[in-house]
Amino acid sequence: MIGRDSLHRRLLTWLLIPMLVVGSLVLWQAWLDARHTADRAFDRLLEAASLAIAEQAQWQDDRLWLDLPPAALEMLATQHDERVFYAVVDARGRQVTGNAALPGDPRPDSDDGDTLWYRNIDWNGLSLRQGIRRSRLEDWRVRETFEVRVAHTREGRDNLAWSLFRQSLAYLLALAVLSLAALVIAIRLALAPLTRLRRQIRERDPRTLAPLELALPRELAELRDTVNELLVRMRRVKANQERFIGDASHQLRTPMAGLSARAELALRQSDPAAWHEALVAMQATSARTSRLAIQLLSLTRLDNPEYQPDLVATDLTAVAREAVKEHWQRCQRQGVDLGLEATKAPVWINGLDWQLSEALANLIDNACLYGGTQVTVRVTPSPPSLAVVDDGPGVTPDQRLLMLRPFHRGHQQGHGSGLGLAIVDGIARSHHARLVLDAARHTGSPGLVVALCFDGGTDARPTPRPHASPPPTGKEETP
Amino acid sequence: MNWRSTFALALWLLAPPVAGYDELILEAERKPATPLVIHAALDLPYARPLLEGFHRRHPQYTITFRNFSTLEVHERFLTDPTKADVMISSAMPWQYLLVNDGHAQPVETPTTEAWPTWAKWRQELFAFSFEPIVMVVNQDIRRRFGPVTSHAELLALLREHGQALTGRIVTYDPAASGAGYTYAIEESRLSPRYWDLIAALGRADTQLVDTTGAMLDGLADGRFLIGYNLLGSYAREAIADDPDLDWVIPDDYALVIQRLAFVPRQAPHPGGARRFIDYLLGTEGQRVLADAGALGAVHPELDGPGTATDMRRRYPDGLRPMPLSPGLLATLDELKRQALLGRWQREFLNQPVGTAP
Repeated sequence: MIGRDSLHRRLLTWLLIPMLVVGSLVLWQAWLDARHTADRAFDRLLEAASLAIAEQAQWQDDRLWLDLPPAALEMLATQHDERVFYAVVDARGRQVTGNAALPGDPRPDSDDGDTLWYRNIDWNGLSLRQGIRRSRLEDWRVRETFEVRVAHTREGRDNLAWSLFRQSLAYLLALAVLSLAALVIAIRLALAPLTRLRRQIRERDPRTLAPLELALPRELAELRDTVNELLVRMRRVKANQERFIGDASHQLRTPMAGLSARAELALRQSDPAAWHEALVAMQATSARTSRLAIQLLSLTRLDNPEYQPDLVATDLTAVAREAVKEHWQRCQRQGVDLGLEATKAPVWINGLDWQLSEALANLIDNACLYGGTQVTVRVTPSPPSLAVVDDGPGVTPDQRLLMLRPFHRGHQQGHGSGLGLAIVDGIARSHHARLVLDAARHTGSPGLVVALCFDGGTDARPTPRPHASPPPTGKEETP
Repeated sequence: MNWRSTFALALWLLAPPVAGYDELILEAERKPATPLVIHAALDLPYARPLLEGFHRRHPQYTITFRNFSTLEVHERFLTDPTKADVMISSAMPWQYLLVNDGHAQPVETPTTEAWPTWAKWRQELFAFSFEPIVMVVNQDIRRRFGPVTSHAELLALLREHGQALTGRIVTYDPAASGAGYTYAIEESRLSPRYWDLIAALGRADTQLVDTTGAMLDGLADGRFLIGYNLLGSYAREAIADDPDLDWVIPDDYALVIQRLAFVPRQAPHPGGARRFIDYLLGTEGQRVLADAGALGAVHPELDGPGTATDMRRRYPDGLRPMPLSPGLLATLDELKRQALLGRWQREFLNQPVGTAP
């Protein structure tokens, strides 16, 4: 654990630091309190001693007179043998008697008559606690004021303060040990669900994607739910992939079986004309199969989340014009009228021209396959969009989402692979474009509009470099 | 290291106190020599065995011992506190005053740590002797009036036979003698009957002198029959071979004074000073004190003649060592001194201002 980041350590550290700070403050306060208490206790001695001396003061022979009671000094020395000092000063500041010239206190008389001040002083290198009492003779006539100053060293006070402080320290240490133990246990208990979660994840079959089932506190339950959502998505993706692979192999197996059967049939005959006919049919089938394989590859590549090509400024009009030029002849042969509907001005978007060409090729193919006689490639400038419009039977609204699934054919009798729209959908996603399927018109044969609506196309600027960037991966090139 | 441990004494005894003090110097026996200066109010005959004992044990010190009066040892220290390594004096309040003012440094050795707390203060000031204040009574008194063994008996004697004793009693003059004043203030604190005694002494025309020596002289030549409040350590030596004089520790109470020693904070050779204190309080030094007999050993482990243990056993309630406490400071208070002396004079001259019964 030591030296590595851990929740245990973080919690302990961040709980201990405030505890230490609070502990130090409490200790400091305890020390101040102890000193204060000791001072208060021992100041009583200063009070009593100064009072005992003041009571002995009298007026005699025209001067302040004092028969110093030895007990007044004795009481200032406890068993700690404090040094004792005293001085009696008259109203004019003259020292009447005393064993030390103790300093006075500048504070004024207190209001309640008998003034008594305490303070700490440094006197001749000794640290003393001094008590000063201002008093007044209660003689018949003389009302002389005088000051009794007594002081002693701090041994007794320090001793008491220290013993009080030691008690607080002992309590606090015991408290700290208990808190620490409680803290460690509390952290261990609080983090126990984490350990359970970890253990369950570790003990799972690595191939299973079943959701985690265990009771956890709220914060960890969120984590568990998030992981479970991820697992659900992974399950769905995995199911999709499995279906895709199944469909793909099925799609490839059918023409392959057809090829094999046709070849076998042709081999049984000896007529070269029959062979030729078989070869022609086989060539058509293999061309379709090859196109299917290419489409599968391109779909796989588009579905790869790791593949994020850089989009460059691309002119939609140019792409559309190229596509029309390329497919016009083939459509013409099939009796389909392919046309372009675009402005003269270029429409710039961020995109990849080869992917857009692929999308157009698939859409045009689809339009031809599913009964369109008039197919229009349409480019609109704002918002920029690229659409293929046909006048075929169209797709009912509830079918439109399904059309995007691979191998889903709108019409069972068609010759398509069922991959076209899925590919277009993938391209739309990689261009952050919306794929919109809609009816072309509301009367007669509805027809179908498949449009890629780009966003923010207008602020895309043509770059000086040629806009055809080479396809980035080392896989077979699709377009 | 098999060298002869003979030791030579180099001794200069300045017999007539030209400079006001006696001096004893013990030269170091071993190199390197370290000086050790002791300023004391402790007569040479008492100090010598102690110093020799210490020197035998630590021959590397060149010991300079100077004996002053208690007043002079105090004033010299205040003039220059960096001269002496050890300060010894029997003037307890003055020693206490110096240490209270922070002039001493602590001596922390196993011996000083174990020293009884009643005989030390803050590990700085140490009482190392045990000297009771005594009465010296002529045998004649005993023959005529019976034994005098307590203050109460002395008071009774004065009240009954004061006439016969007029002018034949001697004691300290508290106004002139620091020791006399110290005893007076301590005794007045112990009991108010002290004033009765002073009044009785006054009526008997008691003679007042300044020193124990003067009292002993008068007692020896028969001028005085009773000496009150003599320093026991000196009295005992002086009357040892005088069959006429008795040495009495009063059994109701007897003040005990103690010599106090400390190491000044600015002592030039504190290491040696601490060794000396350690020796002085150790069984060795204390044994020397006990054997010499006059000063009295404090060490609780020592017993037999000349020890505090023995004296306490013989006078279980009466011995009152002056406590090492701030009360000693009150003794030095000038107003207090004037107040006490005023009262003392009034009582002694029998001019009570409504105080004595």
